[in-house]
Amino acid sequence: MVDIARVQKELQECNKDKDSSGISVKLKGGNTLTHLVGSIPGPVATPYEGGTFIIDIVIPDGYPFEPPKMQFVTRVWHPNISSQSGAICLDILKKEWSPALTIKTALLSIQALLSAPEPDDPQDAVVAQQYLKDYRTFASTARYWTEAYAKSSSVGIEEKVQRLVEMGFPEGMVRDALNAVGGDENAALEKLCS
Amino acid sequence: MDDYINISSEEEDECFSDRESYDGLDNEESDSQWVPPKPSSIKVITKESILAAQKEDLRRVMELVSLREHHARTLLIYYRWDAEKLFSVLVEKGKSALFAQAGVPLVESLDPDTTLSSSMVMCNICMEEVSGWEVTKMDCGHCFCNNCWTEHFIVKINEGQSKRIRCMAHKCSSICDEAVIRSLVSKRHPDLAEKFERFLLESYIEDNKMVKWCPSIPHCGNAIRVEDDEFCEVECTCGLQFCFSCLSEAHSPCSCCMWELWLKKCRDESETVNWLTVHTKPCPKCHKPVEKNGGCNLVSCICGQCFCWLCGAATGRDHTWSSISGHSCGRFKEDVVKNSERAKRDLYRYMHYHNMYKAHTDSFKQESTLRETIREKVENLEKRDPSARDFTWVTNGLYRLFRSRRALSYSYPFAFYMFGDELFKGEMTEKEREIKQNLFEDQQQQLESNVEKLSKCIEEPFDQFPEEELMNTRMQVINLCVITDKLCKKMYECIENDLLGSLLFGIHNIAPYHSKGIEKATELTVCHTSKACNTGPAIKPDDDINGCTLESYQPSGSGSSDQSGCSSRKRPRMENFGGAFFDLNLPAEVMEGN
Repeated sequence: MVDIARVQKELQECNKDKDSSGISVKLKGGNTLTHLVGSIPGPVATPYEGGTFIIDIVIPDGYPFEPPKMQFVTRVWHPNISSQSGAICLDILKKEWSPALTIKTALLSIQALLSAPEPDDPQDAVVAQQYLKDYRTFASTARYWTEAYAKSSSVGIEEKVQRLVEMGFPEGMVRDALNAVGGDENAALEKLCS
Repeated sequence: MDDYINISSEEEDECFSDRESYDGLDNEESDSQWVPPKPSSIKVITKESILAAQKEDLRRVMELVSLREHHARTLLIYYRWDAEKLFSVLVEKGKSALFAQAGVPLVESLDPDTTLSSSMVMCNICMEEVSGWEVTKMDCGHCFCNNCWTEHFIVKINEGQSKRIRCMAHKCSSICDEAVIRSLVSKRHPDLAEKFERFLLESYIEDNKMVKWCPSIPHCGNAIRVEDDEFCEVECTCGLQFCFSCLSEAHSPCSCCMWELWLKKCRDESETVNWLTVHTKPCPKCHKPVEKNGGCNLVSCICGQCFCWLCGAATGRDHTWSSISGHSCGRFKEDVVKNSERAKRDLYRYMHYHNMYKAHTDSFKQESTLRETIREKVENLEKRDPSARDFTWVTNGLYRLFRSRRALSYSYPFAFYMFGDELFKGEMTEKEREIKQNLFEDQQQQLESNVEKLSKCIEEPFDQFPEEELMNTRMQVINLCVITDKLCKKMYECIENDLLGSLLFGIHNIAPYHSKGIEKATELTVCHTSKACNTGPAIKPDDDINGCTLESYQPSGSGSSDQSGCSSRKRPRMENFGGAFFDLNLPAEVMEGN
């Protein structure tokens, strides 16, 4: 059985310093404590800066003696996170899990993983290859994905594309340009005109 | 004379009673008969003796490193019960590194638990305040409530991680005290505690390179422990003979790898397929393989379709001896020809070795039925000669026949791989291969002809022979026994030293030749501490140390340095250790030690 009391305490604990850590955990909906949603801010000085990443959390029956199941809902371009499914490759979510860890510490570890990828132990081989061989492209793609999927204003990206296409540029080129400059519309326009 | 030494039978007594037949034995050898045989170094471990077997190793580590039993077990499980390895790490890297790697706390926290018991303690797992009586502090110093510990243990045991349950604290790699696990889990799930117990016990077999389950089906419940050399052939007390290294039937002088390939090859239908590709062509209409049994190149399938034998294409019926009307396929396809030539050659090669192998295994099977007739013959002879003369030469001869026949039949799959392209392509030049093959085949043939002679002698109705002819047969059998034994030994040595020993790539080890056959494992003698052992692992570790007797235990590794002196090759030969005879080539101190 899930230790309800502990999960409740963890939720209170975590949301207490929500403002300073930026990490929050909410109920997924309904009244069950077994399905939660976490959110973490992208760490500064990384391609994920400025994004807010939503993580789906399922608390298994054996919690806290079994690790919580965590998965990215927000699409993210990272060697240890599947670009398709959002599955996370992190040791403490698997065999290094310890009952002394909490949902919050797990989320903090994921945040740390965003700033320090481990391409030698990849979840997404394509991303890992790119990270190792062509870091610049990797960084700009990751920035683009953050821009496109992890920002509340990220609906804007389609509008930017739309606007630039209306200026007469082909859509493929527009997307490439936006991708290359990390989603900045003006920079993309400059790039397209040059 | 030395050659006679190695002739012994399955039953040592039988061999002694045959003293008569070796009239020429000098004093030295007669003396050796009075030495009690050393029990085999290969042991059977039964459900009952596994605990005692484990304790031996535990005790050694406990004494040398001076720690408690559960820590010794943690160390040994981590080092897969290889105490020598454990000691060498201790010497090289020191105690702290040894302990840290294996998850044994170096300094046990010694705060008495009583300081805790009076107050309330916060358990960091369930985040509840619990009374100090309900928490347990592990050796690493981490303290959590009993409920949480129990949950943790149950999850880990169910995950199959019984052997190494780590502390719950994050990044603490120390292994939990098995006694705590046992007592906490048994309060809630006695059956799970039992399971945990079994996992710990069986780790001695499952994680131990030198111990393996007997592969008998249905399983006899035994495990076999060897010493020094894992490349050997053993006989379990259940009667099953097997190769300790790969657990299939005893197959020396084939290496395990060769034997596996050979079995697969024999099982596969690939050879049939090979034959089909060489000798048949598929009908272009019904696709059945068609064999050409003569005539011109226009072949007609039983389905009625005609086709050209040269290219396999469908044609009309109209043809002459040399041509088919409206069809021409004179173009030469070199690779097709090459491939079929190659397939043909490989097939014939395999067929040769397989036939030889099969012939010898079949003879072996037939000769096995001789046991009964031989017994009758001996009875007849005993009746005829009431002075109760000794006829063990007959059974010895039969036994020698079995032994050499076995070696002979497995030498064919060996040769198939040794001199074929599959395993050792590029290992030796064509010339070298030819020389080696000749050398080997000479020995093999000598052995073969002597084995056949021996077989013939044994099958003769010698119980009907007049006295003089009987004595002749007796002499012949005895001589042939000596010769075949010697030849077998030579063949094994040639394989081990000249053929496999000189390989550059790939390691192929074979079980050494034993004159007296596959070594029988003996029951593990449970020392006088058995009483303490039988009370189960639940006993306090301290009681254990007191109950231990030093004399009953000889560290198995102590002799290893001496033994290495007697071996010219990588492994010490243990051949004559289990027998009743001295090996005169061994240094004196080894002899005394045994």
